[in-house]
Order: sequence, then structure tokens, then C-alpha cells
Amino acid sequence: MRPKRVIRMNNLAGLAGLVPVVVFLVVALGIAVYSRQRAARSAQGGFVGEYFLGNRSLGAFVLAMTTIATYGSVSSFVGGPGQAWQTGFGWVYMAGVQVTTLFLLYGIMGKKMALVSRKLGAVTVIDVIRERYHSNALANAAAIIIVVFFATTMIAQFVGGAKLFEAVTGYSYVIGLVIFAVAVVAFTTLGGFRGVAITDALCGIAMLVGIVVLAWGIMTAGGGYEQVMQTIAANHPEMLEPLDAGGMPIGLYFTQWLLVGVFTFCLPQSVVRTMGFKDVKAMRRAMVLGTVIIGFMMIGVTALGTLSAGVLTDNLAAYGGSVDNIIPRVIVQTLPPWLAGIAIIGPIAASISTVSSLLIAASSAIVKDIWLNYRNPKAHVQESVPSNGTPGQADRVYEDRIVRRVSQAMTLFIGIVVFALSITPPDLIWKINMFAFGGLETAFCWTLVCGLFWKRATKAGALLSMIGGTASYCVAMALGFRLFGLHQITIGITVALVLMIVGSLATKNPDDETLAVFFPER
Amino acid sequence: MKPKPTYAEKMQQANREAKATVVALVLTVIVWIVLGFGIAPTGIEVFHTPLWIITGTVGTWLFAIIVAVFMSNRVIADVDLDDEPEPDAPEAGDSHE
Repeated sequence: MRPKRVIRMNNLAGLAGLVPVVVFLVVALGIAVYSRQRAARSAQGGFVGEYFLGNRSLGAFVLAMTTIATYGSVSSFVGGPGQAWQTGFGWVYMAGVQVTTLFLLYGIMGKKMALVSRKLGAVTVIDVIRERYHSNALANAAAIIIVVFFATTMIAQFVGGAKLFEAVTGYSYVIGLVIFAVAVVAFTTLGGFRGVAITDALCGIAMLVGIVVLAWGIMTAGGGYEQVMQTIAANHPEMLEPLDAGGMPIGLYFTQWLLVGVFTFCLPQSVVRTMGFKDVKAMRRAMVLGTVIIGFMMIGVTALGTLSAGVLTDNLAAYGGSVDNIIPRVIVQTLPPWLAGIAIIGPIAASISTVSSLLIAASSAIVKDIWLNYRNPKAHVQESVPSNGTPGQADRVYEDRIVRRVSQAMTLFIGIVVFALSITPPDLIWKINMFAFGGLETAFCWTLVCGLFWKRATKAGALLSMIGGTASYCVAMALGFRLFGLHQITIGITVALVLMIVGSLATKNPDDETLAVFFPER
Repeated sequence: MKPKPTYAEKMQQANREAKATVVALVLTVIVWIVLGFGIAPTGIEVFHTPLWIITGTVGTWLFAIIVAVFMSNRVIADVDLDDEPEPDAPEAGDSHE
């Protein structure tokens, strides 16, 4: 039996780790609710436009932070750095490719999506796809793909966050899961897109603070930067080489460029943010600010993973056999409990901000893109009033009330399903996250890019590309089939491109009405 | 006074910006390769850190910031995103509604 004093100390340590997290969540929830209530009082558009898109009012800072926080997940904070502990600085060099994500998203999609979505009164990415290709089948397929892959990503986030919580506070995994689930569902259900975007900004700040605190902990515990580097050089000199003596093949660099660099601008959870900013100036500023922050965040946190090798010097088996345990372990080992509680706010915020953004997008896919469209096929145009829209009519109020209840109920429902699926945790968070990234990029890349930039793209091409590409990606993943040893994204994205081109060229041109909106310059 | 750009002109500008972004991506990839794989064989160390680690990560990041600043100031044009009907021709998109 353990002495009472030890048990009390452990409880105190756990409590010290728990308090900062709970305080952060309560404050973030308060801000989310307040911001949406304030917006609801002054909102000109209907419930749908406000709940799912915040009435296109995001300024530069919130836009940059919500894009980064949605994209930067617990995988970036736990899984990736854990892998970097094992692989070395090559992994940090690879993480550096993410500095391109913000300028790619805003530069390629930003203005065009902003213009087109305002022209159409579109609230979701699927609204735009539906209007471009005039296909309910395509819109429904897109909605299902979004819900499935978002759910997969959300599970990885919940698991990562709860594991971290368990390691640092000593409370059980399930308690951690319950706290996250309640927080996320409350943020999203009560806050809507605007609340999520604002809490994302708060989470982004927490992530930056977490990185700084952990850096201090590692440097202090490792005897300073020079000592940490000397320990790594002595124990694992290959970790200082870009190819990690074969542990980091060129093919891995290539596919990571595709997965977390080049094609991230097609991720629907990112693209929807280009429909929500208030003006081009906000987007331009977000591009610069976002590139500064994402570089600091992704390079910084991944480098901390590698530098942990100067503190955690045993082999992987000593740390539970999973690289996902490295960051939780280094937090506990290098920081006093109260500071560990502050440090874990970063990755927990990363987890929560990603889940809340995906939850609202998954909910919008079902409510807005399937259910509302089924109730009223023109709903995507009539009910999504642009920012300069007029106040609603009498029955609009009634309609809004129904949509409000269904949207919030659906958000709650998806949250509960994801929670239930997270109770038995899967391994290797970053791999699950990459699977979902690859699936979403395969499904949406050519449908969106060709939809916006190739006037010859047709409904048949888009349907074939989205369904055929995603199916080939999933089959290749399931069978473990690779071409030239490359990640299956290369198969999915190539098949999707070929099918888009063949399907489009084999069918007749889109109608003039569509071309006038998407290609008025022709 | 310069006339306000039409919807078609705004979309054309968006196309130009997208092309410029692709060029920026290609340049960033080249810089990333040169500053990382290119510098690694030199074996130079700074503060107990192989130089390629600093240039390949922080160097690429700084380059990306320069790209973002250039794009923001020189490439991306401020336009009014809300659609205004043109005086001489009705907007084709209106027929959707």
C-alpha cells in the first residue's frame, strides 16, 4: 500500500496539471458563446450563414489563426514530434514544407472562392461544387466523404488529446476524453463557425505558449542547447543527417511534400475559410501573419521532438513502444506539474480546435448540403444570404428556428459518435491523420481546382474523379499497395486527375450559365 | 477616376494571382532543396548544429515569409469582393436566383 503522503502528492500534481486546462476551456467557451450571441444580435443574414460561416466577417488575425489551428492538429504536436524524436532533424526539415500552406491556400483559392461564393451566396464548399457541376450526386458524395474522413481525423485528435491528458495529469484516459468531448461539443454547438474561429485563435495562441514553455523545459532538463545537441550527436549521429542513414528516404520527402504541403490548399476544412474573410486586405495580411506563425509552430514543435532525444535517451520500448508517448513523457519529465499543465494546453488546444472546426464542417455537410437541399433543392441559394443581404421574411424566422435545432442536434450527434469511437484508442496518431489528409485531398483536389480553373471540367469528370480517386486511394491503403514505395496519395491523386480529364473530355461543355459565374472572362 | 473592375476582371486577376502562387511554390521547393540537401554535404556546423538544419528549416521559412510579403504587397490586388451589378449588362449569375 502506498503511503498517504505520496497519494496526496500525486493528487496535487494531477490537480496542478488539470486546473490550467479547465480554466482555458472555460474561458474559451465563454468567449465563443459571447461572440456568437453578440453576432446573432447584429446579424443580417439568416441562421445558416451565421452558424456555418460567421457571415463572412473574419479579420486577418482570426482568419490566419483559425486556418492554422484547424490545420495544425494534435498530430503536429504529439505524433509528428514523437516521430522526430526517433528520426532526427530530417523530420524537422520535412515539417518545414508546411510553411507553404498558407500562401498556397490564400493565393490559389482565396480570392476566387471569395468572389464565387459571394456571387452564388454559397455557405459551404459543397455549395460551390453543387453550383459548378449541377450534380446532387456529386454534392452528396462530397458530403459523405467529408463526414467519413473528418470523423477519422477527429478520432485521432480526441485520442491524442486524451492520451496526453492522462500522461500529464494522472487522471484516466476516459476522463480526459469526456472533458474534451464536452468542451468541443459545447464550443461548436453554442459558438457556431464564428465561435469556433475565435476559439481557434485562442487555441493558436495557446499552442505558441506551449511550444515556448516546453522548449524551456527541454533546455533546462538537457543542460542547455549545446549539451542537448552533443548528447544527440553522441547517441545518434545519423539524426543529424537529412536522410537519417536511410530512415528518411527521398520518397518520404516527396510524398510529405504532396500530403502536408502542395495539396493542403484543397482540404475542404481549409477552403471554407477562404469563404469567410471580410475583404482582400484581411486575406493579404493573414497570408503574411499566417506564414510567420505556421513556420514558428510547425518547425518549432517538430524540432522540440528531435531535441527531446537529448533528454529521453532510452530506446522506444522504454517509453511504451509508441512515438506518441514521447511528447507527453518529455512534458512530465522536464516540467514542474503546474507548468506541465500550461504546456499541455498547446497540444490540447490543437486537438480541440481541429475537432471543433471539423465538427462544424461535418455538421454543415449533413444539415446544409444534404438535408436542407433535400427539403428545398434551391436552399443553398435562397437561404444563404450574402453579407450584404436583407433581413429575412416572416417564414424565414420559422425556417431558421428549425434549421438551428437540427444543426445543433447534428453537431451534438456527430460529436457523440466520434467520442464513442475514441474510447478504444488506435495507435500512431500521425498516420491516421495522414490517411484522412490523403483521402480529402484526393477527393477534393481536382474537383475544386478544375472547377475553378478549367472551364472544360464537367459533372461526369468530377464525379469520376471524386469517387474513383477516393476509392482507389482507400483500396490501395487497405491493401498496402504502393507504387515505387511512395505513399498512396500518389495513386489517389493521379487516378483522380486522369478520371477528371477523361470524364470531362468525353462529355459536353458545361452550360453558359455556369461558365458565366465561374469563367466570366471567357 | 479609375473605373471599378468588373466581376470578369476580378476573376481574371484571381487567375493571375493563382499562377503567381504556383511560381512561388516552385521557387520555394527549389530554395528548400538547395538550403537543405544542397548544404548538407558541406559538413559546416554552427552552434553545434549542422548548417543544413538551420538553413533548410529556418532559411526556407524566411524565404516563405518573403514570398508571402511579396505576394501580399505586389501580386494580390485589393478588390471589392461583394458583387455589384454592372450598369450596362446584367450579371449572368443573377439568373441563378
